[in-house]
Amino acid sequence: MANIDELIDGLAQDAAAVKPAPHPFKLSIKWMGWAMAYLIIALALSGLRPDLLLKLHEPLFAAEIAALAGILAATSVSAALLSFPDLHQKRGMAFAPVIAFALLLPVIFIAWHADNPPAPLPVHSFECTLCITLVALLPAAWIFYAMRKFASTHYHWAGSIALLSAFSVGALWLRLHEENDSIMHVVEWHYLPMIVFGIAGWWLGKKILKW
Amino acid sequence: MKKVTGNLQKFYGARVTDKTGNFAALMRQAQSGDQRAYAELLRETSRLLRPFLAKRLSFSSEVDDLLQEILISIHKARHTYDCIRPYKPWVYAIAKFRLQDYLRAHYSDQLLLAVDFDELEESLPDHVTETDFSYESISGEVQKLPEKQVTILRLMHQEGYTAKEVAEKLGMNESAVKVAAHRAYKVLREKLER
Repeated sequence: MANIDELIDGLAQDAAAVKPAPHPFKLSIKWMGWAMAYLIIALALSGLRPDLLLKLHEPLFAAEIAALAGILAATSVSAALLSFPDLHQKRGMAFAPVIAFALLLPVIFIAWHADNPPAPLPVHSFECTLCITLVALLPAAWIFYAMRKFASTHYHWAGSIALLSAFSVGALWLRLHEENDSIMHVVEWHYLPMIVFGIAGWWLGKKILKW
Repeated sequence: MKKVTGNLQKFYGARVTDKTGNFAALMRQAQSGDQRAYAELLRETSRLLRPFLAKRLSFSSEVDDLLQEILISIHKARHTYDCIRPYKPWVYAIAKFRLQDYLRAHYSDQLLLAVDFDELEESLPDHVTETDFSYESISGEVQKLPEKQVTILRLMHQEGYTAKEVAEKLGMNESAVKVAAHRAYKVLREKLER
């Protein structure tokens, strides 16, 4: 008991004024803003797919891009909430990525059914995963750096969501850059690796976000 | 707010009163640099958390240790509280997080210190009671085992090699040697006890 009193006195003496952290919605808007700016720069450097305007008129492609943007938004909000010990008392909203992924799944399923006869598979394969990873590296580093400033009590989930957020930037970039209509290829080399990286984030979260 | 308070009572068993406003006010003052308010807040918080921890830990020394860790965590994370939302769910989230960490570390330490049954078996004294088996009967039964098991038993029990050395000699892995030896013992026991 005496130790606790001493500790409290010590902590109180150390306590300087602190600025309360911004609201998680503000944080997530800021993170999304950075991600969008990064995406625009990446697309400006690498170039847009030549048939982008035509493709955006196809409902399935437009829905896929919208779902990916939804994943980016939902994971940003969720990551911001998970940075707070009590999830800013908005636990339900932390599950927003589940809804976003649930929206992407039927889009992929319908696109897969509509892919008849199947579009030719591109000659490359893992290169797409590699490109997405390379593009996602900077957003991943940035979001982990930003989240470390707070105090996550769910570091496994926070790590997963942070990586999903970063990889959704990469996936979005590649869909807007690469001229590729094979949904099988996109699922195999774009979206499944994204899930794998999400799982890797579970482990990475513990390493980086533990405090 | 009522729902949150009700849930807290249900989950944490602590008495949740209308002091939330006081906590929030103290934290607001603490965040603006009022050290006295901060000390008061930490004292009140430790009073709030002690029964919560005492319910879940066996020794008061453990409660004290963990309470100190939680207070340090509150200190580190105090900027993540904004005085707009209730204080108690925030502080209990930190307390629960540290408690889980503590229990995880505690149980993994216990696993590290646990004695393996195999090691225990090696340190037990040999049988002192007489057995019904003669050397000849055991030796005869050993010869009936598959060749690999015979070789393993010979190397381990006649030539005194360890399971690891036998594994290296026979190009097997250590656990495969142990499993083969274990199967051989089982067969021998069944045959000799008949």
